[in-house]
Amino acid sequence: MLKIEKISCSLDNTLILKDVDFKVNRGDFLGIVGPNGSGKTTLLRAVSGILPLIKGKVYLEGEDVSQMDKKKIAKKIAMVPQNTFINFPFTAMEVVMMGRNPYLGRFEREGRKDLDKAKESMILTKTWGLRNRKVTKISGGELQRVIIAQALAQDTQILFLDEPTAHLDINHELEILSLITRLNREKLLTVVLVTHNLNLAARYCRKLILLKKGEIYARGEVEDILTPENIKSVFHIRALVKKHPLTGSIYTLPIYFNGKNKTAKGKIHLICGGGSGSSLLRRLWESGFEVTTGVLNVLDADFETATLLNIPTVGEAPFSPITSESYQKNVEMMEGSKVVILTEVPFGEGNLLNLRAVEQALKEGMKVIVINKIPVQERDYTKGKATRIFEDLRKDGAKLVKNEEEAISLIENEL
Amino acid sequence: MQAIKLLSKHRKKTFSFLILLGIATIGISLSIGSVSISVKDILKIITHKIPLLNTLIKDEPIQKYQLIILNLRLPRILLAMLVGSGLATAGVAMQGLFKNPMASPYVVGVSSGSSFGAALAILILPGIFSVPLLAFLAGLGAIFLVYRISRRNGKVPVETLLLAGIAIGFFFSAITSLLMYISAQSVHYLVFWMMGGFGGRSWDHAVTALPFIGFGIPAIYYFSRELNVMQLGEESATHLGVNVERVKKLLLIFSSLITAAAVAVSGVIGFVGLIIPHITRIIVGPDHRILIPASALLGGIFLVWCDSLARTVISPVELPVGIITSCFGAPFFIYLLKKR
Repeated sequence: MLKIEKISCSLDNTLILKDVDFKVNRGDFLGIVGPNGSGKTTLLRAVSGILPLIKGKVYLEGEDVSQMDKKKIAKKIAMVPQNTFINFPFTAMEVVMMGRNPYLGRFEREGRKDLDKAKESMILTKTWGLRNRKVTKISGGELQRVIIAQALAQDTQILFLDEPTAHLDINHELEILSLITRLNREKLLTVVLVTHNLNLAARYCRKLILLKKGEIYARGEVEDILTPENIKSVFHIRALVKKHPLTGSIYTLPIYFNGKNKTAKGKIHLICGGGSGSSLLRRLWESGFEVTTGVLNVLDADFETATLLNIPTVGEAPFSPITSESYQKNVEMMEGSKVVILTEVPFGEGNLLNLRAVEQALKEGMKVIVINKIPVQERDYTKGKATRIFEDLRKDGAKLVKNEEEAISLIENEL
Repeated sequence: MQAIKLLSKHRKKTFSFLILLGIATIGISLSIGSVSISVKDILKIITHKIPLLNTLIKDEPIQKYQLIILNLRLPRILLAMLVGSGLATAGVAMQGLFKNPMASPYVVGVSSGSSFGAALAILILPGIFSVPLLAFLAGLGAIFLVYRISRRNGKVPVETLLLAGIAIGFFFSAITSLLMYISAQSVHYLVFWMMGGFGGRSWDHAVTALPFIGFGIPAIYYFSRELNVMQLGEESATHLGVNVERVKKLLLIFSSLITAAAVAVSGVIGFVGLIIPHITRIIVGPDHRILIPASALLGGIFLVWCDSLARTVISPVELPVGIITSCFGAPFFIYLLKKR
């Protein structure tokens, strides 16, 4: 339906698109994703004949778009821009009716068919109630829905959407994109959606094109495109990619990482469990420390966090006490750490060996920081054994702090 | 559906009202002046001049009244009607083109160019026809210059057009001031000309302006739906099948022709091209298919009334009509600014 052949495009003498080449077939729901300035919007403008191409051709049903009459293009491609400003007080109905412009002769008035089409689109986008309101007096989100109604009234086979839901609240975003998905499925409306929102793209698009600096970096099925590797290389962030249990779509969760050299800031070993160490793990990791942890039971909240962040962990079978083998691994893992941190983990017979590991660390001359806001007695389920070891730790030089902030500032000062 | 039918009914009513108002305006303004002439006499004089109908008139109308009506007031009123319609229409086109309700036919430098042309004519070869001719040509020259400056890669961005118009306008105003400065004796005449007015205008002036304005208004009306769609922004208009660059260029040409012709025959009459589109928009809404003809009618009516005031308010001395339009225009404009 649309064939884009190696197009290049420049704005103010800067090359924005380089040899972009792809096809859109009838009924596709294609997402174009990429960071700001990667050329997504420019690509839409180039394909729809707004921008002149310096190289390549765009074919719409076999016809060269640059040679086509504007009205003819308008009967085949409708476009919803990021935002629209209207200075004059047209009514919403009048604006939607403008979508019929390509079909009207010079002095022809809108007829019954045009009215029906406009009404249908307005009902679909839930803007029929706004029909007599002035577009200068409605909200940005309402106007955007009116503009979407206009594009639907244009009655084209292809719909281009450029960040269409940037101004919409979540329920209207959902509503509009579900509507477009429905039109795509039922009426084979071909949709090309430009967005920087990866989760939006993952949820609604079937195929993706990932742009990087004006070139196609990757293209294909959503699962193959939204990988942590691709996201890292294009957006320069680390992201978790998971399948959402509810929607079944992929979703990404970006994690901030300042990219400093990990080994340069020193190694820190965390002894935690039961979720007591999760946020500290993340914060230390984000600040660029080399972080290790252990021993943690698989399925423990802290174990999950460590896995997500790719932090080396000594794991133990779920709900099982720490074996001496794991303890040994943990002590080995600790080696070379400048600081060992003990969080406010509850102690039972099963994880007493973790407390022993801290003892070992002190013996080997590592700095030990202990977070102890909830006194150890209150989380000791070992009839005082843990409390006794804890007291020893304090005597041997472990530093007690009240909370994470104190621990972090202490580390920043020490290292 | 019902709402749309009602709306067009409302529009029809507005039109009928404006046309009646126009006829009444011509009738009343013909009768008032330093010599009062009754409507009955006016009708007599006019029917007398129309073939076939003139058999109905038994007695010859008073010769002196005939002269006043046919040679003095009628051409002047028709010219004011023509210029008012033209400026209002050009104003609508400019406001639509720039998507800015503050634009007027003068923003792109036509009036400054025309003033320069008129100043040049007054200085070098003063004459009844040299002044309008040079004013017309210089006005078109100015817009041509502005257009060439703004053009880049076959496109004319409206922001550039506006700025170039202002720059060229200032440039021509400076030269006009210079000409005025070095030609002290003609200053009075030039200042009077620049304020705009219909004093002493004859059938010749009306006939000269008619082709340009008479062609320009329908030509702009021809693009009224494009103007509507262009209010969404130029790219959106392109996506809706409008050849934006072509429409922009043609609208610029037509409104410049109208403006240059209007300024050439009547000087720089301010505010008509700015406030009439505004008032009309309040009455009939922003749809250019209604806005353009309604503005043309209202602009004509408004200017005829202003001119009638100009020639009667301190009769027998005439005020430049530009003073009257601005006196009404400026406060109204401030009111609009406050209301925004």
